[in-house]
Amino acid sequence: MMKINVILPVFLLLVGLTGLSSCEDNVAKVATVEAEKDITGNWKVVKLTRNGEDLSQRLDLGGFRISFHPDGSYTLANELPFVVHAPGTYQLNDPQYPFALLLTPEGGDDNVAAGFQFPVVKGKRQLSLTFSLGCGNNTYQFNFERENPEL
Amino acid sequence: MKPVTRTLVYLYLVIGLGTTLFLVHCGLTALTVTVPERANVNERVTFVMHSGAEPRIEEPGTYTTQLLAGIMVPKSWNARENAVLTFTSPKGNGVMRMIPDSEIEPVSGVSWHQAAKNMFGIGPNLVDDFEWIVYRSTQAYTFRNNEDISFDVNVECNVGAENMLVRLGFYVGSSIENLRPEDTDYKKVAFSQVFEVTGGEGDLIDFVNPQLASVQPVRSLDNDIITLTFDAGVTQTALEGQEDIYLSIRGYDDAGNLVAEINERSGKTRLTAVGGKRYRIDFWPRSYFNVDQNQRIARLEYFYTDATGAQRVGYGNTEEPFTYTFRCQ
Repeated sequence: MMKINVILPVFLLLVGLTGLSSCEDNVAKVATVEAEKDITGNWKVVKLTRNGEDLSQRLDLGGFRISFHPDGSYTLANELPFVVHAPGTYQLNDPQYPFALLLTPEGGDDNVAAGFQFPVVKGKRQLSLTFSLGCGNNTYQFNFERENPEL
Repeated sequence: MKPVTRTLVYLYLVIGLGTTLFLVHCGLTALTVTVPERANVNERVTFVMHSGAEPRIEEPGTYTTQLLAGIMVPKSWNARENAVLTFTSPKGNGVMRMIPDSEIEPVSGVSWHQAAKNMFGIGPNLVDDFEWIVYRSTQAYTFRNNEDISFDVNVECNVGAENMLVRLGFYVGSSIENLRPEDTDYKKVAFSQVFEVTGGEGDLIDFVNPQLASVQPVRSLDNDIITLTFDAGVTQTALEGQEDIYLSIRGYDDAGNLVAEINERSGKTRLTAVGGKRYRIDFWPRSYFNVDQNQRIARLEYFYTDATGAQRVGYGNTEEPFTYTFRCQ
């Protein structure tokens, strides 16, 4: 009986510890292919920060839309300062692991790059673009959500 | 409870308690700073941070880490380019290197500099035109139990070309602890007394004392989004007791010609109260003034008025307008 008293807790402890160390990289061995980022659709601004300060409640964000079309073009409904002011074409710098969105407005040859993130916030996919508008020291981050076409 | 189980439970408790005590009693001592009262523009000045380490580690364990140090200075100083940080300690002296922007502070998920800015802010300053820059010792150092030391971090930096009143920020930390919000043992922050830079051209930039009116960001162009504030608590003005404060503003181009003027009392020009007798209005100047694509606004002149427009307040509580020049440098 004494033996069981000793063995059982020690056994349980060992099982517990094994559990801790059993997180081997089996998961990492599963081959995955990172999906290409699809940003097509109509996007509305849900958050706007300037140098980290949240301006969302202080400015009227309602009118601004950016639409990315499947043919590689984009259009703007422009009531906010934005990195481009004319429609044109867009491209991600890498289809799978993008960190920049390149916008080429019509009538200009130059790409305009915006820092790109594609996080899921509260269960909704967000498109987050970071750029400067005036001085290079001032950084703006626009967070967009897809507009529901039914609404 | 069976005896062995009880022993194991006690063992867990002791280990847990030991870990907690270790966390509570280890760390850095309070940070103090030596900052001169004033300097001339473009002078190279030395600031000194004084702190220490108090390792309380269960023998025979050791604690190995790199020293972190951060400074918060006006962006106009260009400290990223010209600041040099060194440290002296009984465990050795060394140079510190700026942490690359690409390196992410693990707790916040942003760069170390941005993480420090988010965590420590601008301290007692009232206007934000600052950057936090975080440096790390090139070497790691190993501490044993009770190996208490004190150390100094020397910051050499040019103070820029602008006259200013400012309180500078300083930080020391331990590289393996990151910037955890709840941690108070491994990150120590201090802000200096008022430091004055004199002898330059142009207006004094006062980061410390409340201003009747101010514009944020301090440096911006007409394509930025800017915030104009009015602080009625600074002094008694003609708008004393008014609840509705309006903006009356003119935009000028580089040549000094009037480009646009907005002098109306409406939702467009009404400031929002933010408490403490402070008011603000945010706008994008290019759209606010509705200027053509080729037109640039170089300078603003503005007053704050009451609902009739009859009572107005200008620069220094006079009839002169407040002014703001769009520039990046």
